[in-house]
Amino acid sequence: MTTTSRPHGAPDDASPGSLRERARRAIEEQPSPTVTVLSSLLAAQDELGYLPYEAVDEVSLRTGSSVNEVWAVASFYPNFRFTPPARHSVEICWGPTCHVLGAQPILQGLVSHLGLDGEGDTEDGSISFKYNTCLGVCPHAPAMSFDHELAGRMSLDEAVSRVERIRAADVEQSA
Amino acid sequence: MADEITITIDGREVTTEPGKMVVQAANDAGIYIPYLCYHPGMKPYGACRMCVVEIEGQRGTPASCTLPVRDGMVVNTQGGDAVQVRNTTLDLLLSEHPHGCLTCHRIDLCGPQDICLRHVDVVDRCVTCPKNERCELKDTTRFHTQELVSPLTYQYRNLQVETKDPFYDRDYNLCIVCARCTRACDELRGDVAIGMTERAGQVLVGTVMGDSLLESGCEFCGACIDVCPVGALTETAYKWERPARVEQSVCAECPVGCTMTYEVNHWERVVRAVPELNAPANMGQACFKGKFGFDYVNDKRRIRKPLVRRDGELQEASWEEAIAAAAEGLAPHRGSAFALMASPRNTNEELYAAQKFTRVVMGSNSVDVASNDRPGIVEGLQDVFGYFAGTMTVWELADSAAVMVVSANLTEEQNVVGVPVKRAVRAGTQQLIVVDSREVELTRYASLWLRPYPGTDPVLLGGILRCIVDNGLADMEFVNERAEGWDELVACLAPFTLDAVAAETGVPASSIEQAARLYATSGPAALLFGGDSSIGGTRRTLSRIVAALAVATGNVGKPGAGVMPLYQGANTQGALDVGVWPPALPGHNLTQESPEVREALSALWGVPVPLEHGGGNRHMFDHAREGRIKAMLMLGDHVHYEDGTLGDVLGGLDALDFLVATSAFPSEITERANVVFPSEVWAEKTGTYTNVERRVQPLLKVAKNKRVDSRSDLDVLCAVAQAMGAQGFAWDGPPQVLDEIAQAVPEYAGISWERLLRERLDIVTTPSDEPQPTQVMYTGNVLTGLQWPCAPEGASGDGQLFVDRFRHGKARLQPVAWHSRPEQDARFPLMLAHGRVLIEPGRKPNVTVVGKRNRVEREERLVLNPADAAAAKLSEGDAASVTTADGTERRGVVALSDAVPAGVVSLTTLFGELAVEVDSSDRPDPMNHIARLNAVPVRIEPVQCSGGT
Repeated sequence: MTTTSRPHGAPDDASPGSLRERARRAIEEQPSPTVTVLSSLLAAQDELGYLPYEAVDEVSLRTGSSVNEVWAVASFYPNFRFTPPARHSVEICWGPTCHVLGAQPILQGLVSHLGLDGEGDTEDGSISFKYNTCLGVCPHAPAMSFDHELAGRMSLDEAVSRVERIRAADVEQSA
Repeated sequence: MADEITITIDGREVTTEPGKMVVQAANDAGIYIPYLCYHPGMKPYGACRMCVVEIEGQRGTPASCTLPVRDGMVVNTQGGDAVQVRNTTLDLLLSEHPHGCLTCHRIDLCGPQDICLRHVDVVDRCVTCPKNERCELKDTTRFHTQELVSPLTYQYRNLQVETKDPFYDRDYNLCIVCARCTRACDELRGDVAIGMTERAGQVLVGTVMGDSLLESGCEFCGACIDVCPVGALTETAYKWERPARVEQSVCAECPVGCTMTYEVNHWERVVRAVPELNAPANMGQACFKGKFGFDYVNDKRRIRKPLVRRDGELQEASWEEAIAAAAEGLAPHRGSAFALMASPRNTNEELYAAQKFTRVVMGSNSVDVASNDRPGIVEGLQDVFGYFAGTMTVWELADSAAVMVVSANLTEEQNVVGVPVKRAVRAGTQQLIVVDSREVELTRYASLWLRPYPGTDPVLLGGILRCIVDNGLADMEFVNERAEGWDELVACLAPFTLDAVAAETGVPASSIEQAARLYATSGPAALLFGGDSSIGGTRRTLSRIVAALAVATGNVGKPGAGVMPLYQGANTQGALDVGVWPPALPGHNLTQESPEVREALSALWGVPVPLEHGGGNRHMFDHAREGRIKAMLMLGDHVHYEDGTLGDVLGGLDALDFLVATSAFPSEITERANVVFPSEVWAEKTGTYTNVERRVQPLLKVAKNKRVDSRSDLDVLCAVAQAMGAQGFAWDGPPQVLDEIAQAVPEYAGISWERLLRERLDIVTTPSDEPQPTQVMYTGNVLTGLQWPCAPEGASGDGQLFVDRFRHGKARLQPVAWHSRPEQDARFPLMLAHGRVLIEPGRKPNVTVVGKRNRVEREERLVLNPADAAAAKLSEGDAASVTTADGTERRGVVALSDAVPAGVVSLTTLFGELAVEVDSSDRPDPMNHIARLNAVPVRIEPVQCSGGT
């Protein structure tokens, strides 16, 4: 059973800029000629950063599937998330090369530094921490990405300081 | 391709058909191959790997449920490799399934009712599994004599048991992810209210985001429960009860007449209903009413003894006293001062006796059945075709290329009729046209949805007919050969021009044309109609046009084509057949127009059949108030008297001199009666019901409520008749009555009780000590009933009526009138079209927990045509309320839409709300008290904001 919680009875807002409207537009404007449940889910997540109920519902409307069918597809892939992401993303590569060259200690160090049990969002909502199977920069292993910017030859210290910089900037922004 | 091929299974030669899967071929031949995810009737899936076998000349161990048979195939079900694969599969399944029930050392010591001595963990105990002793996983493990090397080392998933939804309990800790339930919901029912979620080790059955079934589109049909092999899905009611025996009978909730297997426990209580897998009327399907609505048999509140009014008070009496009192009280009221109202749950035999009692003993024609409040929808069919009946069978609808459903709420009223339609639409083989001012479940599946102004269906169908004629789409060869009155009919269609019809109904002309094309040109087309939104006299016109449409397009008497009237009541068809209707005699003959039939019946009954008009249904109560009817006999469950469709029932009863009622429960009717007989309910009766496809099905006694000293209405009628000195009521039980029906009703000729018990499908199943799905275990000798007019014994009956000729040779097409919209009361200028759907895409309801139960909560939308909104000074988003003439008020938020015709307020609520209401009702039989969704006049007003609460 999924543990995703969703605020029940969120207002059914279809006004421009609402989640439902943004999802609808993203699904309609898919460039690919073949529109499937999966492609529509990807388009919605690209737009919104996650898949709220409204997005699942819109995909079901566009593809003629039941919401439960769409959910069956969406819940199958760990790459889909159903809660809003944190404000910043930090990914660590745990592909073979990075693993051999020391990704594990960095990964574990960061997990405990961020106060997490593994992948996930920090409590303050500033950072989404994710494992990545390959960031595609093996020559620079161990690699990480900070807000989608790649960084190579990482060490734990370097990673922690980068993370702290992001957090500091985040605090400044929020203030 | 050969029609028959031979394969060898375990050294035995088996003849089977190409296309069958090996597992089914083996099971059909009585050779058992274990399986857990396979279920007959569903597509091969191949998930559980329990049915693996070895095939000579083929590598590996293929799953026999996905392996089609091949001529000359040699199958070995007991090969070492296959057995080992199965054992490993079982090991893996048990590694996540609580299985104390298999390993506890007291398994053979405990009796079935013993209290658990707590030798194992709570979640592990056999007594904490509702499917204990009928679990396919447990049986399969025992069948395999699995060595449980590491007992109780399994991973308990610790998921919350879902018990907040109506009717169902879901405990996914017991789920083995065979996907039978999701496939049943998808393939069999077309709902997809549940699906597989997550993946790999976490895969489970669930709804979108773990929502309640109330908002996921569930229709609570119970199909998933019926196929679940373990205790994951169970009925909440009688969850822990075990069957002492099972009995086959027919459901008494609606005219589909689903054959059900009822489980009865040691205390003679009916505890479970399982739809019969191979029954021709329902093919293993049921609905929320049939699956969960049987509990009233067992109810404690039933009337236990006959009651007689003495000194103004109802007092208990003996049967003899009560019968004498009834006979004495009725005797002075012979003639037109007497009326009898039967119940739709009465059997054919009771109904026949009721009309015979009324006509022979009392000399009155005022006899009707309470559910027959819309006789118009069959009158028109009799006018044209000759019978008060539909022409087709339910499951033929799966082969129809087009289906038009006119003002009928199938999902709630004749649920299983909708199943083949939904399946065919989802398979892409059928075009569905829905004509309904309400939004109902089927509109979601419709290729075309026409929303006429309520009550204008006859005009709309007339427009469609004219459009078919004008565009040359009519099948003139069929019309010329099989029908008369065509030219007169076409002449009547003069006012039904496209523009006039569009203006009258509010349906765009283009949609009318499209509907005409779809219906006339798609192929075999069926027309289902309920007349829900029509008003009184216009229903006869509606059914005449329906019949004319079918004749005009040649859609009668062909497979997949025909018309089906959708009335309420389990045995309304039987009532029409045996003459429980004032103007008609047994055998679909009008009393006043068929002197020869009247004579024949007078001879059969030995008393002249009265000729004068009788009052039917609501007229009865009007006549009672006017003093023209002084005594009444009311049979069975009194359920149609509350919703106003029969007029002022209680007022009428108050005016009577003498009232006799038979009833299972005390009601406002029994309170007014002079004599009350405790009556048997459907599960206690023997007799026959006739369903909407004219199938006469035997009703067998399932159980008897031991608290109650009840008798069938047949016994009561016969006893009272005999006490009044009448002849011809000395039947020796329902079979003898059925014999007399076969004499009086020509269509029933050839039907006898003995033959009904002989007409069965002998389903070969593997021996019952082998683990099987409940539905498979219960099937075997399926009583199929007989469709009238019935073929001689041995010949296969034809579901289609009128293949070669209509009852009177040619169809007698009838002139049709244009019925304008009725004048609206100026105080209630709009019509409220209240619909109900399973799920409303694009909107999310709120589900809150009240007490321990889920409830739907949401702000309803009152959808208006912009013109009406402007007139009422309302705009999008305003809070408003609609009020009916009787003061009922509903609130909602205004939404504007051009799709709603002017003059209509559309309100669509969720089925989940109804499910909760029914589930939480404390009425003995809530299923029978579900209000119909009829269009009613309303006024709409803005709701003033009180400025914060």
